[in-house]
Amino acid sequence: MLRIEGLSAGYSAKPVLNDVSINVGTGQFVAIVGPNGAGKTTLFKTISGIVKPSGGAISFNGVDLLAVPPPQRAHLGIAHVPEGRQVFPSLTVMENLEMGAMTESGRRDWQANIERIFEWLPVLKERRNQFAGTMSGGQQQMLAIGRGLASSPKLLMLDEPSMGLAPSTADFIFERLIEIRRQSGLTMLLVEQRVAEALESADHGYVLEAGHVVLEGTNDTLRADDRVRKAYLGM
Amino acid sequence: MEGFLQALAAGLLIGAVYGLMCVGLGLIFGVMRVINFAHGDFMMLGMYVAFYLFTAAGVQALFGNTVGPFVAILLAGPVLAVFGYVVHLALISHVSGTRTASLEGEGHYAQLILTLGIALILQNGGLIVFGSVLASIRTPLSSSAWELGPFFDMSIFLNKARSIDAIVSLAIMILLSLLITRTRIGKSLRAAADNPTAATYMGIDVDRAHRTAFALGSGITAIAGGLLATNYPFHPFVGLEYVIVMYAGVVLGGMGSIIGAFWGGMTIGLVQQMSTLILPTQLQNAAIFAVFLLIIFFRPQGFFGRMVERT
Repeated sequence: MLRIEGLSAGYSAKPVLNDVSINVGTGQFVAIVGPNGAGKTTLFKTISGIVKPSGGAISFNGVDLLAVPPPQRAHLGIAHVPEGRQVFPSLTVMENLEMGAMTESGRRDWQANIERIFEWLPVLKERRNQFAGTMSGGQQQMLAIGRGLASSPKLLMLDEPSMGLAPSTADFIFERLIEIRRQSGLTMLLVEQRVAEALESADHGYVLEAGHVVLEGTNDTLRADDRVRKAYLGM
Repeated sequence: MEGFLQALAAGLLIGAVYGLMCVGLGLIFGVMRVINFAHGDFMMLGMYVAFYLFTAAGVQALFGNTVGPFVAILLAGPVLAVFGYVVHLALISHVSGTRTASLEGEGHYAQLILTLGIALILQNGGLIVFGSVLASIRTPLSSSAWELGPFFDMSIFLNKARSIDAIVSLAIMILLSLLITRTRIGKSLRAAADNPTAATYMGIDVDRAHRTAFALGSGITAIAGGLLATNYPFHPFVGLEYVIVMYAGVVLGGMGSIIGAFWGGMTIGLVQQMSTLILPTQLQNAAIFAVFLLIIFFRPQGFFGRMVERT
């Protein structure tokens, strides 16, 4: 579904990503793990078009993504749940979800989507008329995920959904993501620093270090790998 | 007492029009975070467009002297909206929105110089094209009044033109609030204002949202200008007189709050008229800024401003 080949990108002269190749197949749950500053968020921003790449190619369902203007990429079926949640603080929960549904498919399936989102993330239903800026971090994260789902995406990209959350809240978010995936079969691409949880949830993984893919494989292979065990899993 | 009520009524009437004028600027600032120094001159242009639509383009012949001016004023709105759209497309979009990443100071310096430059061109271009003779959009209503009362031997006189100006302002204000709170376009404007990057992730074209806001803001201020012109004569440099009031109104209402800008403008209208009760007319503007500073001293974020901006 998403094919990234030899991607290089960065800010002004400073390269962040170096010859990165990643493949996400339809229905897969792929995790990209790695330390701070490895380029995980930059990778997502390049897919969404906020950062311009200096080389390489990205194709999404056969479409050359780099030729598509950034705001149009959501309309192809890519939902980006950004780092640090980035909900619209002065809009209500419901209005935030409506913004998620700006795409044609999101508009068409609005009624069905909103019911499913409220079922998966009931806190959003309870607080639907509250301003998003007044909610807790965990609630905002759920809203950011709900907003992504409201677009009827083909691919859901999640940038560190556990960031800045209490461990129990982060666990709850992961549990929800697994449940959403199980019920919907949605293709997901996750970027995480919480490596153990990420590899446990996903079925395929990449390890990104200093802008390079240093390792890739199924979650079992990665979890059995000595380097991953030592560096990330603390074993 | 009678003088007080009279000043209060006059303040509310002019305040509604000032409010509308401020909302035009507040909308642009709220959505784009661009300070448009040329906004007063956009308003001046709106006044002249209304003037020429009325006198030269047949509106007077078609609608007569009483209704005609208001038709011309309302038509000036869309004309200036198109003007704003083109100015944004051709000039402002190069130093704002998604193109600011590579500019120094997020493009604010370039925006300042560009909008000041546009202001100078409009003022001096206006002088060449329109001349320096005072113009006005008078209607027979400008010099007649409705009498409210008498209550307890007191009567309040409401200038007819100013009353209609206030009603038109309120009507446009209500339409605008419905647009930004209820419609898809309005909500996406607010989303683009809250977080342009996240809005892009939603599939909202932020530059197009900015262009919409700039066009709307230009059109709204043009209508407010036309309404003011039914009572106040104008000239190509008239923008300078009003732009200060516009900024004061936007700051009073709370930077970034679109509805707040209306109440900021309303406050300024009230202060201006009420001050005439105790101060000579020449000190009207001094009174406005004394009250302005006082309010900002106690409430620096303005009436509707948020202390914490953007997450």
